[in-house]
Amino acid sequence: MLKCRIIPVLTFNGFALVKTKEFGSNARMIGNAVQAAKVYNSRNVDELVFLDIYASDKNRKMNLQMARLIINECFMPVALGGGIKTLEDIENLLAIGADKVVLKSKIIEDPEFINEASAVYGNQCITLAIDAIKKEDGQYYLYNRLDKELLLFNFLEKLKNYNFGEIILTSVNNDGMMNGFDIGLVQQVEKRTNVPIVVSGGAGEPNHVKELFSKTNIEAIAAASIFHFTRYTPRDLKLAIQSVGRPVRLVEKDFIPEN
Amino acid sequence: MTIAIVKYGMGNVASVQKVLKKLGYTSVITNDHSEINQADLILLPGVGSFKKGMENLSNSGLVELLTEEVLCNKKPFIGICLGMQLVATYGNEPERVAGLGWIDGEVVKVESPKGLRIPHLGWNTIKAANSDELYTNSNNRDYYFIHSYHFKAKNPKEITFTVNYDGDMVAALQKDNMYVMQFHPEKSQEAGMDLLKKIIDQYA
Repeated sequence: MLKCRIIPVLTFNGFALVKTKEFGSNARMIGNAVQAAKVYNSRNVDELVFLDIYASDKNRKMNLQMARLIINECFMPVALGGGIKTLEDIENLLAIGADKVVLKSKIIEDPEFINEASAVYGNQCITLAIDAIKKEDGQYYLYNRLDKELLLFNFLEKLKNYNFGEIILTSVNNDGMMNGFDIGLVQQVEKRTNVPIVVSGGAGEPNHVKELFSKTNIEAIAAASIFHFTRYTPRDLKLAIQSVGRPVRLVEKDFIPEN
Repeated sequence: MTIAIVKYGMGNVASVQKVLKKLGYTSVITNDHSEINQADLILLPGVGSFKKGMENLSNSGLVELLTEEVLCNKKPFIGICLGMQLVATYGNEPERVAGLGWIDGEVVKVESPKGLRIPHLGWNTIKAANSDELYTNSNNRDYYFIHSYHFKAKNPKEITFTVNYDGDMVAALQKDNMYVMQFHPEKSQEAGMDLLKKIIDQYA
């Protein structure tokens, strides 16, 4: 049976790991990305996501040297994102061992790029970051820093014409708040796509995860704050998922490769 | 022994080499014909579309070379993900094209009548299809899958593992010296390293 996945997210500012709240600009410094990757590997996490979150804003590419150091610590799949604009960017990330690439700004400016990329690398490695923000009018919009006002569900409808493998759905309102997931948002998005969805934004304790996995059919979550700022480990969240009757991959011992 | 990891522009070569190194094997990432000739084992990794994979192999003259080494000279061969699919008679991504044709079968889209999400993505349990000692240790363990197409094998005897996702699919096949798997052992932590070691150590 396919297992539900717990995916730690490392958000990187070009120098160090950081963690935002509601995607704000005053991100908190967390520490060393390579060390974090090593710890997650030993804890048998199902996957890892590494995002260079300001790369597109600053019009720079991902730091390949840093990405390579992180991947070297990982014996599980890794998704890399940040500043991807060309097929060559994707090629470079796959060549150093990325399993998936995460696209965001580029697909808002040029959705055709999704199909161009999946025609070459296969749709399975093309992950879209969909950041949803609920505004005062009560509607969900696609968060972006390109000054484009796009209704989230219209954008998802448009995406039906494109070929990709996965969505990482982040609630901007819940990012870093550790107050639980936006279940209503997840239920709306579930109906609108047939690819796997990774839900992010809001995990603060195992009960939040229980609620999400019992009220939706979601198969994966991504989280950061709960691992940075609380005593809970990915395994604790897996046990929470298991307690509501959904399958998880539990490995009894730490995985520390020799050499 | 030296393992040749075939470089043909279809990604993922670094991860495979990293795992082989951890397991203590020497490997080279190469498309050089003499290096592939000299290697003791050939490993074809890869992610991406079937058609592009075949094009890249034939553009570097690797179709003839690999066929001679693997099919005629019976050099041990491991194929992973796209590297598994390419040994089929035909693929369909994005349209129907001939594959290497080493193992009879066709690579077709994963479909789920129940409406499960596609691609089949994540950790899933594999079941051994025979009682071969080589495979017992991997039976019922979780491996990482990420694919939208799957290998429909013509000869059920060549299936070594199946995986269930709205019905059974082929997870791995073996024919003589060829060991091919849809899942990514190089991304499956200890379970993946155990299986690779078992296969490679037969020839070490």
